[in-house]
Amino acid sequence: MIDFLLARIGSAIVTIFGASVLAFAVLRAVPTNPARLIAGPFANDEVIAQVTANLGLDKSLPVQYLDYVTSFFIGDWGFSYSAGQPVLSQITERLPASAELALYAFLFAFFGAVLVTVLVSFLNSRWLDRFLRLLSFISVGVPPFWLALLFLMVFFERLGWFPGPVGRGPAPTGLYTGLFTIDYLLAGDFAGFGTALHHLALPSIALALGPFGYLVRLLRANLLDIINEPFVTVLHAKGVAPISTHFRHILPNAFLPTLTAGGLILAQLLGGSVLVERIFVWPGIGTLVIDGILRQDYAVVQAFIMLSAIIYIGVNLLVDILYGYVDPRVRRS
Amino acid sequence: MRRLIAQLAHDWELLLGVVLFGLIVLLAVFGGWLWREDPLRVDILNSLLPPDLAHPMGTDDVGRDVLARFIRGAQVSMGVAISVTIAGTLIGGTLGLLAGLIGGWFDVVVSRIMDAILAFPPLILAMAVAIGLGQGIVSAGIGVILAAIPWYFRLLRSEVLRLRTLMYVESAQALGASSFRLIRLHILPQTTSTIFIQASSVFGFSILTLAALGFVGLGIQPPTPEWGTMITEGLAYALTGQWWLGFFPGLGIFILAVSANLIADRLRDIYDPKSGARLSI
Repeated sequence: MIDFLLARIGSAIVTIFGASVLAFAVLRAVPTNPARLIAGPFANDEVIAQVTANLGLDKSLPVQYLDYVTSFFIGDWGFSYSAGQPVLSQITERLPASAELALYAFLFAFFGAVLVTVLVSFLNSRWLDRFLRLLSFISVGVPPFWLALLFLMVFFERLGWFPGPVGRGPAPTGLYTGLFTIDYLLAGDFAGFGTALHHLALPSIALALGPFGYLVRLLRANLLDIINEPFVTVLHAKGVAPISTHFRHILPNAFLPTLTAGGLILAQLLGGSVLVERIFVWPGIGTLVIDGILRQDYAVVQAFIMLSAIIYIGVNLLVDILYGYVDPRVRRS
Repeated sequence: MRRLIAQLAHDWELLLGVVLFGLIVLLAVFGGWLWREDPLRVDILNSLLPPDLAHPMGTDDVGRDVLARFIRGAQVSMGVAISVTIAGTLIGGTLGLLAGLIGGWFDVVVSRIMDAILAFPPLILAMAVAIGLGQGIVSAGIGVILAAIPWYFRLLRSEVLRLRTLMYVESAQALGASSFRLIRLHILPQTTSTIFIQASSVFGFSILTLAALGFVGLGIQPPTPEWGTMITEGLAYALTGQWWLGFFPGLGIFILAVSANLIADRLRDIYDPKSGARLSI
């Protein structure tokens, strides 16, 4: 087990190294000189040379890379000159909003997909199955930001059932976790909890639909594989109740890939729901990143890109380790 | 091919995919010829008109005809997505073939690079590249290609590794066939269906990702119509009742992506009932 752990952690470190080189290489290609952007259009060459030196852009590439990596890992993520704030504090400030949205989207996607798929496969109805397949195609193919827009047009503008693009709603008085729903619950304020949930509903469902469809397809395929295995026939022949066959024998055997995919989806969602956040004016990292792109304020974007890769690799590692823990065959290979 | 056409007759999902896909292709190819409105002509007096006979998809905030822009957007999106898919197939596929065939340090190095690429969520990676190379449709395209390469790489590498152990390939090798001959005659023909299936799901992925990049302002630059950018332009009017601005371009993306995924999935079932690797945003 120790060998397995070390091997996995080692390969995650190698991947983080590769990803940091890649991010550095890609972002160093930025054609506009950041120094010129910071110094402004009327700066003379002397000032620009000064700013270039301050940013360390006059050093050799390997040195610049080392600077880039060390400053990232000590938490010096640069300064966002359009917000007049260090990037690190900007991102930590907005992290809870994105995390809460991601969490709810994940809950909808994961539990929704598992519930519906298992139920449909248990009922064994051809029409329900076809409907589910079609639903999964539709949800994978629909652009999330367009769906978010449709949601707003229908459920806010036409029907008035849900709040419009106003972000998270009123903040709870005591902030413990930064997740509004949890903080309201901790304060015992159920009306506030309801309001927070009301604001979360549309964006998180819009965000959840893609992953939902993906998980449905995955779990459905795995369930079908297992259902056709000989041991299931034997169980049926021995007279084991269908419900027990389904939930105690088929589901556990078909579930691992869905669990893995679920982990990766959570990581992707945590890495920011750039597009949907923008539509709902959600005060999260995604909105921050888009503003950064539009204002050519790339310090935020650079930190975000590296951060999402690290979250992704970290969750991947965690899932791998869990997988090895659950399934001894993985550990040995 | 014949098998496919026969399949179409009694596979309604495949049929649906092909028909929807064909519809957009026809619109992109012949639309500009049938609908002779200029997608760039500004007409302030007729701005924000709801859909009617003169403007089946309405007009936008400066009075441009949305249908004409939709058609031009279809040409742009399809054109870029097709180039991206072909480039991704060629680069990723070749690397995968070589890695599987040569093995050794080449395989190790390229596999590590692919791992690094896969460490980024695809949309984020495409975004990074599009920023790094400067805003525009070419950098956006390169970003999507880079995100798609590892999937081809992994697929073809594992296919080659599998095929290499088969008896007939080993025999050919024992008879002295060169690597090039092995690939051309014995390995590549066995992988065409896999490549094609992967290509159709990459196509769906490119359509969605390119639109997403356009949506955040990293795709093609205005005034050239592109579906993602058109949705952004429609954003300001979505909640004041002018739904048609953002609705139709999104519908286009939706139809293309769903039909590409439907086709990919059906083909996978027909040719290769047991396989995994899919893309998702």
